[in-house]
This record gives sequence, structure tokens and C-alpha cells, in this order.
Amino acid sequence: MPRHPVETEVAGSVWKLPVAEGETVREGDVVAILECMKMEIPVKSPKAGTLSIATEEGASVEEGDVIAHVEA
Amino acid sequence: MAEDASGEEDAGWAPEIKELRRRQELARRMGGPEKLKRQADAGRLNLRERIARLLDDGSFDEIGGLAGRPTYDETGELVDFLPANLIFGRGRIDGRPVAVAGDDFTVRGGAADASIWAKNIQAETMANQLRLPMIRLIEGTGGGGSVRTIETTGYTYVPANPAWDQVVENLETVPVVALGLGPVAGLGAARMAASHYSVLVKGLSQMFVAGPPVVKRIGQDLDKEGLGGAKIHARNGAVDAVAESEEHAFELARRFLSYLPASVDDLAERAPCDDPADRAEDRLIRAIPKDRRQVYEIRPILDDVFDRGSFFEIGKAWGKSLVTGFARLSGWPVAVISSDPFHYGGAVTADAARKLERHADLAQTFHLPVVFLADIPGFLVGLQAEKSGVIRHGVRALSALYQSDVPWCSVILRKAFGVAGGAQVRHSGYRWRYAWPSGDWGSLPLEGGVEAAWKADLQAAEDPEAMRAEIEARLDRLRSPFRSAEAFSIEDVIDPRETRARLCAFAEAAARLRRPGRSRHGLRP
Repeated sequence: MPRHPVETEVAGSVWKLPVAEGETVREGDVVAILECMKMEIPVKSPKAGTLSIATEEGASVEEGDVIAHVEA
Repeated sequence: MAEDASGEEDAGWAPEIKELRRRQELARRMGGPEKLKRQADAGRLNLRERIARLLDDGSFDEIGGLAGRPTYDETGELVDFLPANLIFGRGRIDGRPVAVAGDDFTVRGGAADASIWAKNIQAETMANQLRLPMIRLIEGTGGGGSVRTIETTGYTYVPANPAWDQVVENLETVPVVALGLGPVAGLGAARMAASHYSVLVKGLSQMFVAGPPVVKRIGQDLDKEGLGGAKIHARNGAVDAVAESEEHAFELARRFLSYLPASVDDLAERAPCDDPADRAEDRLIRAIPKDRRQVYEIRPILDDVFDRGSFFEIGKAWGKSLVTGFARLSGWPVAVISSDPFHYGGAVTADAARKLERHADLAQTFHLPVVFLADIPGFLVGLQAEKSGVIRHGVRALSALYQSDVPWCSVILRKAFGVAGGAQVRHSGYRWRYAWPSGDWGSLPLEGGVEAAWKADLQAAEDPEAMRAEIEARLDRLRSPFRSAEAFSIEDVIDPRETRARLCAFAEAAARLRRPGRSRHGLRP
């Protein structure tokens, strides 16, 4: 099964992870909300599939970091 | 037909015309069937196919098709011919004349030979002097190419970047489009970047200053795609767009040129428009979330305010906190700059500043009025931002704004903070500007700004947290854009649904103010 990385395009801190590990997401679903410049920046899934999370709430992330994988 | 003194038919110059046709036929064989097959097998069109598909049907008028490397037999008869690997000429796109020059990869991999240098210089000079948009179809190195040349010439040469004076001159004279349609290296890559609009085709073309074999010598084992594929160069801003196919690249080139005049000595034309100027989209009143922490999609807003379907994005994959492109208002072409809060809340990064500078210069060069839809919380803050030199690139963008004199209209959609937030309009002269009721501005945001301004008081306070909250609440009550409008700090607060009508009025007024001619400062790529 192909495993697609969910990358963040902005640096910030992980504020919320609205989808639990192992749940199914659709393409475009918000899988993480980052806090950056005092704003909530959603990170969307590029594919549909099963989510495995690679970060935790409160963690700092840089541009291009993989915050989850989606297995389609 | 007349007869000559000997009684034979006078053929006139018919034998020479026959020879001309034969030579033209030989030139059309390009690098020969084997090389053409290899090009096709790689999934790439050959240069003559490209030119035919880019231009209006049958409009290509070739120049210098007889140039190339001949082989003669001992009687002086031409027995073989390898055409020069640059083909150029004039043609039409949407009925408008253009210049086109392309590298023939089937001839020496697109690398230069003795005749290409003169052809390339003539192609660029022709575009310049005839004031024609220039389209480069680039594949290969287009330069000295192989080190094998050293053995043929018996010496190494000091590099000189042929035609570069014309290339630089054209950037401030005529629109230049560069399409990378295969691997592009060295001078070819430089000819790509020295343009107003460059395109790579996903999976088909790559760009690098030096290719994988050279890079391997510094210990990086990468394939062409990994070293210089579309993904890499769209994200760093070295190219302006990624096409899905060669046909798509041609379509992008045609679309880009449709918004521009043929040269700086002309003005862009108005297109027919059946989209009413007073079209008011109801959803605009809900476009900006009331919660200041929430982001929103900017592109549907652009579709709502500009002529339907007219927005053409440039540089989508880099400097993403700003969106740049062209659009039309009542048919008049304008340059568009807007924020995208999905990326750093719209904060101006070093890349976004470079993108803003480039687009402002492009608009200035070709006399396009600018519409800026701004939501700028400031420059991006933090260590990474400082390391990226955000302030250097930021003030370059500010300089581009203040050096421009094209008509400029800005709409503050939400935030305008600090130096970057002030960069939505030239503050000297008349300010054609509006704000939406979501307007929120200042030198510093309250969050963080209070800590800076009341530092000593907060340190002395018994309950600093309660004091900070109290000050913030007090100031927050003064934050209404109507209070700023009372002081005429903002010229007007408008109903978002009336934005299109206001912008169309701006475009109508701005159209009269455009002046052809060369901008007082040239565009640097």
C-alpha cells in the first residue's frame, strides 16, 4: 500500500491533531492545525487513506516536516 | 519560356531555386531520423513540432533556415547538411506577431555550434528592434556545450555568454517567455531564468547550472529530476510555472502574453468582457472569518472580484504567503498581488518579498495597473526569518513599490501590521485604497505589542497576567476600522460585495493614465 507523507508548508507549533491515529481521512481533510503568526493554519491530507501521526501536540515543526502519513 | 542564343530553354534561376528547395528539405530533416526517433521515444516533441503547435496555424516565417554545417564532395557538390541547432523566426499567437527561437536537441544536443551564436543574437535582436514578444523554446545547454570542443579547436575559451546584452535589453523592452522542454543546463538555464515568465514541464524537463555527472564529482549522486526537476525550481522561484505537458506549456505562454502589450512602447489591450462591473457576490460578506485566528481561501475571493475566469496565477509554488498574477477588470488587464493567509497567516517571508518585487517590476515594465488585496500581519518573525534575510528582501520589495509609478489600488481585507503591512500602497501621492470592515491594523499587533509597550508596568504589577488582559481589552475596544476612518487613516471602509465595482472603476480610470515607454529602471530577473 502506498504511504503518502503529509508535509507542512509552514513552520510553527502543532496546536491540535483533530484526527486520531489509525482513523480514515479523505483527501483535503484537516489532519493537523498549526499555530503560526498567532493564526491557526490547517494542514490538509493530500490523499485519502488511513492516518498515522508522526508528531504530537505542542511540537515545533519546520517547513517541509512530515507530520503524518496516509496509507491509501 | 524564353530561349537563349544557343536555342535552349532559358530556365532563369530555376536550378538555383531547385537547389534552395533541396537545402530547405535537408534542413527539415533536423538531426536525422535516428535522433528524431530518440527525441520522440523520450516523449518529447521535436522543435519544428513545437513551433507549429505554439503558433497560430501556418504562421511561422523562418529566418536563417539555410544555416548549418555542409559536407561537400570533391566536385563541390553538397552531399550532406546538418542544420544549425537554433531555429528562429516570426509567427503569430492569437493573431498578434511574436518572435520565437528554439534549440534543436536533435542537433548536437542543442549545444552551440559556429552558426548558432549569430542566429541566437539575431533572434534576440529581432525581437528587440521589431518590438515583438520573445518566446524561447529551450532544451540542452545552448552554450559551448561539450568539453570535446576543446580537442576540435585546440584551445579553451574564456566564457562570454553570447547575446547577453540583447537578453538583458529585452527584459526591459519586450515580454520574454522561456519554456524549458527537456533537460536544460548552463547557458540554457540562464536563458530560462533571464525571462519574465518561465515554465518547466513536470517529469519532462529539468534545469540546472550543471547536470548529474558534474554534481556526482562533488559527491551528490542524483538523477536529473532529483537535481533540477520542476518541483525544485517551482518552489525556489527559479521558474514561474509548472506545466503538465508541452501543450500545456504552450497554452500557459499564450495566456501569459495575452495580458501584455507587444513591447514597452505599446499598451495592453482591453479584452471583450460580458461580466458586469456591478456584479456583487453575496458570499464576500462572509469571506473573512470573524475569529482573527481563522484563515480563509483567497483564490475564490479573486474569482469573485475580477472578471470571471480571468485570474492567471504566476509563481504559485513559491513565496506562497503572497499570490501574484494577472487578471482583468471590465476587460482591462491588471497585475494582481494578494495575501494568502494559509501560509504564515499572510506574513511576508523573504521569498514572498522577492516575489512581490519581481511582480511589481513586471507590472511597472509593461504599464499594468496593480491591484493589491492585502492581509499582512507583518514580516515573518523568528530566527529562521531573520536568517533568511527577510528585511533585506523586504526593503527591496518596498523599493520596487516606491520606484513604480503605475496606477495602484489596494484593498485591505484584514490585517496590515508593521513595515510589511505598510507595503500595500505607495503612501506618497494619491492613495486609491479601501478596507473591508474586517480591517485590523497597527504598528504591532496587540498580542505581544502590549508586553513590549508596558514592559516595566507589567514587571511591577502584582498580577501581570491580569494587567495584560485588562490593557488588551481596553485597546481592543479602540480597534474598530471605523475609528481609523474617522481619523481618515483609512480612506474608506466598503461593503466587500461592492469591491468589484470599485476595482472596475479603478481599472477604467487607470487605463487612461498608462504611458508607453521604457521604465526609468530596468527589470532584473
